[in-house]
Amino acid sequence: MSILGRVVATERKPNTPHEFHFWTALDSPVGIGTIVRVESAQPVSGALPVVYGVVVEGFGYTDVETPLHEVLGYDGEPGGDPGAPTRRTEIRLYSAAVLRHVPEEPLQPVAMGTVHLASDADVAIALRMDAYLTPGASTGIPVGLYRSGATASPVYLDADFLLGPEAAHLNISGVSGLATKTSAVEWLLASIFAHFPEKKGRVAAVCFNVKGPDLCFLDQPAAKLDDADRALYDRLGVPAEPFKDVEYYAPYTAKGFALNTLRSNEALAYNVKPLTWGLREVLQYAEVLLNKDDVDAKADALIDFIKERVVDQEFTDPKYLTSAHRVQSFGELERWFRDLLSGMEKQNAESWRTHHVATIRKVRNRLTNISTRCRGLVTDDGTVSDLPFGEFRDRAVYVVDVANLEADAQDLIFSRIVSQLREHLEKRDLGVEHVIVFVDELNKYAPSDGPDTYVRAMLLDIAERGRYLGLVLFAAQQFRSQVHRRVVGNSGTALFGRMDPDELATPGYATLSPATRTKLSTLEKGQLMVRHPHFSQPVFVRFPRPAVLSGREGVERFPQAPEQTLEEAITRSLRALDNTVTLDWVKETVALAEEEEVLRARNRTLQAKPDDVKAFFRAQLKRRVRSEPTDAPPRQPLKKSPTDDPYGF
Amino acid sequence: MASTYDFAVGGTSIRDALRALKNASVPGDESGSSIVTPAGPALELTPADATPPRLEPAEPIESDPTAVREVGEPVVAFAAFLDGIQTSRALYPDGDSTPLVHGTVAAVIRQRADRALHTWGGAPLISRAFHAPVALLSPRLVARFHAANIPIEDTLEPGDAPDARHPMELLALARNAVQRRRELLEIELAERWTDSETAPLFVDGGISGAGRASQSVLSVGVVKSHRTLYTAGESLAVITALKAAARSAAFEIRPKYRSTVASWYLRLRDARGRDPFFGLVRVEIARESFTSARADEVSRWVLAERSPVSLPDKRWSTMAYGIRDCEEYLRALTGA
Repeated sequence: MSILGRVVATERKPNTPHEFHFWTALDSPVGIGTIVRVESAQPVSGALPVVYGVVVEGFGYTDVETPLHEVLGYDGEPGGDPGAPTRRTEIRLYSAAVLRHVPEEPLQPVAMGTVHLASDADVAIALRMDAYLTPGASTGIPVGLYRSGATASPVYLDADFLLGPEAAHLNISGVSGLATKTSAVEWLLASIFAHFPEKKGRVAAVCFNVKGPDLCFLDQPAAKLDDADRALYDRLGVPAEPFKDVEYYAPYTAKGFALNTLRSNEALAYNVKPLTWGLREVLQYAEVLLNKDDVDAKADALIDFIKERVVDQEFTDPKYLTSAHRVQSFGELERWFRDLLSGMEKQNAESWRTHHVATIRKVRNRLTNISTRCRGLVTDDGTVSDLPFGEFRDRAVYVVDVANLEADAQDLIFSRIVSQLREHLEKRDLGVEHVIVFVDELNKYAPSDGPDTYVRAMLLDIAERGRYLGLVLFAAQQFRSQVHRRVVGNSGTALFGRMDPDELATPGYATLSPATRTKLSTLEKGQLMVRHPHFSQPVFVRFPRPAVLSGREGVERFPQAPEQTLEEAITRSLRALDNTVTLDWVKETVALAEEEEVLRARNRTLQAKPDDVKAFFRAQLKRRVRSEPTDAPPRQPLKKSPTDDPYGF
Repeated sequence: MASTYDFAVGGTSIRDALRALKNASVPGDESGSSIVTPAGPALELTPADATPPRLEPAEPIESDPTAVREVGEPVVAFAAFLDGIQTSRALYPDGDSTPLVHGTVAAVIRQRADRALHTWGGAPLISRAFHAPVALLSPRLVARFHAANIPIEDTLEPGDAPDARHPMELLALARNAVQRRRELLEIELAERWTDSETAPLFVDGGISGAGRASQSVLSVGVVKSHRTLYTAGESLAVITALKAAARSAAFEIRPKYRSTVASWYLRLRDARGRDPFFGLVRVEIARESFTSARADEVSRWVLAERSPVSLPDKRWSTMAYGIRDCEEYLRALTGA
């Protein structure tokens, strides 16, 4: 391979074991991020050392000592004398950070030598990928293509360091709208699904769609995927196709008719499922919604009492309660509270089982309010529709659409699902051994400052201990500096797209050279800087456009369904179970029923998935007799009053 | 111990030479060499008894010796630049006033292609050597030089009496010897160029001593210093008053031991408000090739080399950038 440059060291710019300098011809293809190989002619311990480095800084200057000399040369006229017959002597000097010494010992300053562009094999050695790209036992996950000059080398992440157990978690930073965060995750998930070794176990992904339609069309092919993208997919060995196994979950809207998601087009309804929880599910995570300002120790004690002694069991208290209660839903809990407080009032009691009446009123207010705050997610009747915990499928993506929900509901969903994933992974009965949880806007859920919330504590727990369980956090945010340092610090791998210059000025980026920071602030779409435990220095890669339909294009191609009537919503829900259900049949069936009753019947039917959907649904409704005309004789009108009767009305 | 000094490949540095001398094995001399390494600047940077400034009458070869000729717009024509450098350092054997001078000389032609300069012929010519009056050195020191296989260029002419001389006179002799070696390298390169190429060569300094090259139509010498001013009649006032892009009438220079050349003065830059020699050069071409039209043409070529300026060199008003490039290149290679 031709010589690209030569190492140079001066007293002012000496070489060290971790940095060296070299010069090149003016037209060399070297740039910031280029990986180079240095060959020294001076043997050390009987071997000729080879050093690999990545260019982190560049300098260019001429033999002009001061700008004033250049001014004099042009007689002060920038446009004067356009064609000097000789170009000034000019230099391109680069600084490179050492990626690897071969041999590793003795670790010495980089010696003088020739500099070459790294080949495919060089890139693998420089990034220590040779340790995990062993044929037949590779744990490499392609993250992108490193390009420099004519070189285009795949860069692989080590699955053991991306999904555990050695290290885990991924953090992505980048400004919005430049195909960094969502696109990178979509691409990387496809790459993981294509390359994660089967012997390492099964893997699935749970993605929280927190804004817009970003993740709503993962099972639809991309609208535009050009030849360059397909070439990238081919080179990296990833099929250019959408995800084959995707399920969507979304709570109902506040009305309860339709699901609260932008993926509401009927053509895509086949894999969209409701996400609804009842009292038991929510009470487990009540602390997510009840912050410390709301609930003191006394209230906490009452909530624990309700969880342990009241819910899901026969509860009697003849002194205060008029009857036995079996509390299984928010509605039943409300009736229990009402009965209890009424009993206490009648007996003029200030406390019940050490709980003061004020505490009871406060807890009643907070708990029963949850079903209002999280309407659509939390059902009064206790109907549960949940992710298929225990039946997760290999290489499946489960998207939970929380984009249109209030923050409280988002927190509740996130906490409960992640906790369930952890519990099932601990018991090894989730259905897969590894779960990737993707969360965008991490700075909202795990901020570096602000109150210590349940969600943040849980994210910290995943970041620090999740890798042992196979629970892996892929998180994204615009400003990494605003995320809790223990969360980003525990992310073994970090991806950076185009960054905001203000963000790059924060201390977290101080280890990057000014040139690298400049490159980060001007990255094109589809380019990433990658940090990985095996890489001594960050490297720049290019990744293909995701092979799935983007959110923006998706909502254009699959417009949101218009607002539905109750009957239309019921029809659509039931048709997912039985396509003989018609709108007329539904109208006929629910004509006399209350709206709440109809929704409860639908929820129960969806939960039960009965063989005879129509019969089951009808059975959930109260029996009513339609009014009909009788055969009784028509009533005779009263005799008319005379028109001249002065007392007539 | 074998000497590390290899004269065949252009000599070596003072440091290597002193190391070789110290390690040289001389029967009966166990004391080793004791040569004081100078701490001062190179001889070329110290004041010397230079030739005093003078006016030299010259034979005009154009009709009106006092005429001023506008040469026209610059034209780029030079394909290459030739220059050399020299660096001399004096060393004194301990307790002796007879100086040893280590001289480094080098010359190069930098060829222009696509507005960038490259070394012509593959490599520059570089030579290093010691110069001293051998007869005045101690026999023990000479023996040590022999033992180390380091030749000494004798600065005394054959037949010169080995009498004690003023050390500065000896230094001047050595410095002249070094300068002569540099000129020889430059002549060699100039001849190689004119023998093999067809494009004009910009030579730093006069060409009358350039051997065959001095007679070549390709050689153009450009002299920057004016300790000797060539005048014909009343032409001195004309020369000092030249405006930019104007030349004096040409004249003939006939050195005693060198070739006859045609020469004229040319003002490269506007000298208003500056000393009379600002931007003033003297151009030399082969006498046989001279015509007035050619003098104008060559002047236009030289004018084109005003840009880029050679700052920060102090001689920037008269120095072509290509010549500065030659010097920088040779300094980088020789460490001079």
